[in-house]
Amino acid sequence: MDTIIDAHHVTKTYNPKTIPVVAVNSVHMHLERGEFTALVGPSGSGKTTLLNLIGGLDKPDTGSIMIHGTDITRLSANQLIDFRLRNIGFVFQAFNLIPVLSARENVELIMQLQGLPKNEINQRVETLFHQIGLEDKLDTRPAQLSGGQQQRVAVARALASRPQVVLADEPTANLDSKSAANLLDIMAKLNQEENMTFIFSTHDQRVIERARRVITLVDGKIFSDTAVVDTSLPHGISPA
Amino acid sequence: MAWRNIWRNKVRSVVIITSIALGLVAGIFIMGLYDGMLTDRLNTVIRQEVSHLQLHNPEFQKDYEAIYSIEHAMEIVELIRSEDYVKAVSARTIAHGMLATSTGSAGVQITGVQQDDEHLVSRLNDKLIEGEGLVGDRRNPIVIGKKLADKVKISLGSKLVLTFTDREYNIVSAAFRVTGIYQSANAPLDERNVYVQSADLNRLMLLEDACHEIAVLLNSDNELVVAQQKLSGRYPELMIENWQQLSPETKLMIETTDTYSIIFIGIIMLALMFGIINTMLMAILERTREIGMLVALGMNKLRLFLLVLWETVLLTLAGAPFGLILSWLVIMYFNQSGIDISSFSGAAMSGFGFSSLLYPEFPWLKIPLVLYIVGVTALLASLFPSYKALRLVPVEAMRQ
Ligand SMILES: Nc1ncnc2c1ncn2[C@@H]1O[C@H](COP(=O)(O)OP(=O)(O)O)[C@@H](O)[C@H]1O
Ligand SMILES: [Mg+2]
Repeated sequence: MDTIIDAHHVTKTYNPKTIPVVAVNSVHMHLERGEFTALVGPSGSGKTTLLNLIGGLDKPDTGSIMIHGTDITRLSANQLIDFRLRNIGFVFQAFNLIPVLSARENVELIMQLQGLPKNEINQRVETLFHQIGLEDKLDTRPAQLSGGQQQRVAVARALASRPQVVLADEPTANLDSKSAANLLDIMAKLNQEENMTFIFSTHDQRVIERARRVITLVDGKIFSDTAVVDTSLPHGISPA
Repeated sequence: MAWRNIWRNKVRSVVIITSIALGLVAGIFIMGLYDGMLTDRLNTVIRQEVSHLQLHNPEFQKDYEAIYSIEHAMEIVELIRSEDYVKAVSARTIAHGMLATSTGSAGVQITGVQQDDEHLVSRLNDKLIEGEGLVGDRRNPIVIGKKLADKVKISLGSKLVLTFTDREYNIVSAAFRVTGIYQSANAPLDERNVYVQSADLNRLMLLEDACHEIAVLLNSDNELVVAQQKLSGRYPELMIENWQQLSPETKLMIETTDTYSIIFIGIIMLALMFGIINTMLMAILERTREIGMLVALGMNKLRLFLLVLWETVLLTLAGAPFGLILSWLVIMYFNQSGIDISSFSGAAMSGFGFSSLLYPEFPWLKIPLVLYIVGVTALLASLFPSYKALRLVPVEAMRQ
């Protein structure tokens, strides 16, 4: 087993001095490589906050978050930026792409920031656009892409840097059900083909059904953590 | 990416680029005007007043006594005249004295010349507005400035008396008849300077073939340094000065004017800088989410800083080519037609020795400096917006 995320006793309180809101409350979480996990819960239950903490965009008040062996709560702001670049892939709810860059350039940008050589970048772009089925949209600007296509490019970008884990915060929230299903297909395929670990938050039942593990948050606490047993899949599932 | 970002808000970028271009046009045009004015003034100084080089007895300029002359001047003049870089040479005998008529008197510098030589060096004939000048066989003709003629109330044909000392310190007085009245661009000079024949003056001052000043006009301004070196080497006993040494006020004027035109450009750029800063701050505000996302994805501070800096620099520099081309066109147009500034400065300018019709010149030599100033402006203008961008916290920026 290869542990990707190991979080202990993670708590995050907003406005501690005025009207404290405990957004994430003493959460423990353990994820192995290749998991395909949904983070569910009602609006305001702390999904975004938890994903931000795991992704190193925000710091918890207490607890530790080990990402593939590194405790990111101990990293400085500058170290965190570099850590995110090399270890975390992000897909946000909307407006993921830089409007002035073509689809390809949006994906290349991350690898350029990583300092990968040109030929490696080109190869990776080709593979990824093939995987997301947008080979013919390489040079299209985001504004000319549909919402679903934009999110697929965002997923390609998240994978471009070969991160340890891809964090997707309500990636389907702005999509119609057909595009949402398509996006989930692609994510599931990439999870298989690249053995990429995914955590995606959602409150869409059809999306939840696609996950192989479902973690439910209520008021910042883990309410349940269920494995969806499917013996046809080769990947291990580890109930908490 | 920086370049493409500029075109997101086309109107705003075009406004900035245009104002930078226009600011440059204004600045470079003023520079060109100054340059044209200076070139004009310089031509007057060299070709009508002091010439390129002057040779003197080293003692002469201290107290202008007749005795401090250049001996065997005619030989020297002929030798210098035969040099291929020399265009014209004039030997001058100089006395300081009094000019008196029945209606008035004045202190004057009496310059003895051969009119043809002096014309080739300082365009004396062209300055004559009345009379033929120092020609003819009659003894003691004199050419005086219009300003002086008016002051002592004499006219063509009038008689007057000059009083000065000869080389043996005797006081000499002689009568002269006005055969010419001249007017140059330099009014104060016209009032002080009178011309007589060097033969007459030398005879009265007991100077034989000596003179006090040899003025040399070269074929080209570029040969000044070489010519000065050569002549200094050949005549170590003489003091050889160039126009910059002879007319330090002209040199100073050129330097201060240069400084002013640079300051002028600087002020224009400073004003534009606030426009640029404002534009970039707005651009960053509009892109808060996007910048937050870039940082979230792992763009480090240095890269983000450079991105904003580069965008600002490009925005600023984009105006430069248009500004340069446009100012070149404007200057070339007025270089052909000239600008008449007499309507608002007229007499004042000619009082200082300037012509009232100006021909601006494109200040090629100063363009690198102008571009440098624009570059520095761009960098300065980018600092604050870049700093603002760095201050964005990704989670908060993206929540907007
Ligand atoms: N920046 C913030 N300041 C104060 N409260 C916040 C902030 N962000 C989120 N919250 C609060 O924290 C709780 C969890 O929010 P969030 O993580 O966004 O939940 P979810 O993503 O599940 O909707 C909510 O009560 C929300 O109002
Ligand atoms: Mg949320």
